Amino acid sequence: MATEAVELDVFSGAPAAPPARPRVLLVGTIFAAGAASAAIIGMIALYTQMRADTIAGGDTWLPQEAVVPLTPGNMGMVTLLMSAVTAAWAVYALRNDDRSHALFALGLTELLGVAFIVNTAYLWQGMGLGIADSAQAELIYTITGAHVAMTGAGMLFLLVMGFQALGGQLTGRAAEGLHAATLFWFVTIAVYAVVWYTIYITK
Amino acid sequence: MTVTEAPRDVVETAAAETEPSTPTGLAALVGSGDPRAVGQLFVGTSLLFLLVSGVTGVLTGFEQVDTTKFEVVGSDSFLQLYTLHTISGLFLVVLPLLLGLATAVVPLQVGASTLAFPRLSAAGYWVYLVSGGLIVAAYAVNGGPFGGDSEGVALFLAAMVALLMALCAATLSVVTTVIALRAPGMSLRRTPLFSWSMLVGGSVWLLMLPVLAGMLALAYIDYTYGQRFLATGSGDIYPRLRWVFWPPTLFAAAIPALGIIGDIVPVFAQTRHRQHRAALFLIGLFGALSFGAWTQLGVSGAQLESLTPWLDSEVWTVVCTAAVVPLLGLLLLWTATLQAGRPKLFSPLVLAFPAGALLLGGVAAGAASAHTTLDLFDTTWTSGAAYAVLLGTLLAAFAGLVFWAPKLYGALVPEGVGQLVALLFSLGTLVVAVAYGIAGVLDQPTFTTPPDGLDDIDTIELLNLVAAIAGVIVVFAGLLFILGLLRAGLGRSRRRPVADDPWSGNTLEWATSSPPPVGNFAELPEITSEAPVYDARHRAARAQLGTEAAS
Repeated sequence: MATEAVELDVFSGAPAAPPARPRVLLVGTIFAAGAASAAIIGMIALYTQMRADTIAGGDTWLPQEAVVPLTPGNMGMVTLLMSAVTAAWAVYALRNDDRSHALFALGLTELLGVAFIVNTAYLWQGMGLGIADSAQAELIYTITGAHVAMTGAGMLFLLVMGFQALGGQLTGRAAEGLHAATLFWFVTIAVYAVVWYTIYITK
Repeated sequence: MTVTEAPRDVVETAAAETEPSTPTGLAALVGSGDPRAVGQLFVGTSLLFLLVSGVTGVLTGFEQVDTTKFEVVGSDSFLQLYTLHTISGLFLVVLPLLLGLATAVVPLQVGASTLAFPRLSAAGYWVYLVSGGLIVAAYAVNGGPFGGDSEGVALFLAAMVALLMALCAATLSVVTTVIALRAPGMSLRRTPLFSWSMLVGGSVWLLMLPVLAGMLALAYIDYTYGQRFLATGSGDIYPRLRWVFWPPTLFAAAIPALGIIGDIVPVFAQTRHRQHRAALFLIGLFGALSFGAWTQLGVSGAQLESLTPWLDSEVWTVVCTAAVVPLLGLLLLWTATLQAGRPKLFSPLVLAFPAGALLLGGVAAGAASAHTTLDLFDTTWTSGAAYAVLLGTLLAAFAGLVFWAPKLYGALVPEGVGQLVALLFSLGTLVVAVAYGIAGVLDQPTFTTPPDGLDDIDTIELLNLVAAIAGVIVVFAGLLFILGLLRAGLGRSRRRPVADDPWSGNTLEWATSSPPPVGNFAELPEITSEAPVYDARHRAARAQLGTEAAS
């Protein structure tokens, strides 16, 4: 059935569409992720240097009463790695306009993020280190706390972009916002890998 | 189903009545995300903080004239005022001033309708304003480095972290604009030098300032909970952040100044920039060499006695020395550009020329301090080098403000003011830097009283007096510049409007009105080189000549 073209004068005075702003969010996220990483990596550099200085002076780095358990740290790493897969899945699903799977994958990513934060809080409780006990404790809590803050920011970013995507604003090829949030999430995981190796593995 | 419709005139009247009115006055200023408004706010506030930094600098300068006793501000306040002078000079004046200029000018230069994240820039400004005020307030209640009030010290640390985050937010918006919002045809190779220098400098700042913020966050937690890291309390704060005032980190503040000079020189030489791509490379190289976040490890040890373990490192010496090379290359390019054209000595060029010379001198002096055999490090030689770099950068920012005043304020800064400021500011800075440099050669330590037994104490005191008087001249020149800018900004309605392109500029910002409209451009010229407006002007001139010849 042929349709007749109708001129809608109601649109004739409408403003022009805003100019396309390609990659703005993605580029901004790359810089933001770099800055956030620099802050944490800078603190880790302080940590490793102070540890090296202390060990070179003939002392042990961690106080006798301190216990930095390996299992929760490993669990944190595994949890975040799983969340990397689900985040990538969300992007893939959204690019194919598969909204139900995108919703499921985003929900899983957020859930794994919450699990990671709970896991870190459990680790803090089990360490037997008060923040005011030693310089080492201050460093460990500052570094891991900063990373938890970065994780929270990543989850919020994913949540906002996820809602926009599922609301129909960022679907298919225009899913740049979710790409950006996922990129930030991947950087968060990469930074945790450094934290995990420095603080939990080599101690 | 029945559809009822109100008559069109009734609907339009009702719509007009319910349409929210456009905010004006303070409401418009507070709620604005317009790059020009945010840029103006950054510039205005940083110039106010310039007075704070300048006055404290003069006071501490006169305090050092008599090295045997504290008579001007007292021994308790001296160190606090000195740190307020240096910290506010870098973080509340130089960086925000450059960011303000970039916020207003970069979207115009790259042909964008606005910034990439205008609200982020606005948020950055307001956090900068509040945190800057809190930093000054912390000093006022005996806080800050060397302060005695523990809450004031903690307030200083927290406010510094907030300030650094605000500067990062505003920087993020500018660098993203350069990367993602360039007009069609403007490849990175065709990017104007100021925008390019903001991309390079902003990237370095985004990797460097968070490192300092992380260190200050750690200091805040330590100061609040245990004071193990800061063994002597607030007295340990400043020594641990001094790496930002040392080469090569300090050079990072000067990167945008190179772009400002690079954009001004060809316009007033009435030609193109010679070897534009080489200039891009040299600015990038200077930026890469000035990334000095790694030097924080020099002040991170548990024992402050080992403040600079990297001082003996050849890497540090090589990096600091190598930073002179791109600056020399740029100066050669600018000289070649001036020689190739017909220079007009208007105030932007008159301001830019000594700025470039001061930067070269400061960077070279900083490089010299990195050579341990010269034994200049941590003497006032380092302070002299830092003054040359930072005040040279400030002078370049003044040049930029005069150059782009038509776009920022829709008016020109009085020519006489620009020329007088150039003379007083550059001469004052030169005398301050040279006097402190010579005193450093005579072993005067930086920001503490000289130890007993120095042979040339009378000469050192005389040099300190000369530096203090020159400091007064620099502050006076700064005040004069602020008044000139105020006259341009506030008095524009009383004068005839400024031309859209009063300097016959080369880059895109001169293709729109002064001040630019909302959205910046009605239409953009074709971009086939780094100087599209220069191209368009000369194309039109050639076409006219051709027509005349034919007729």
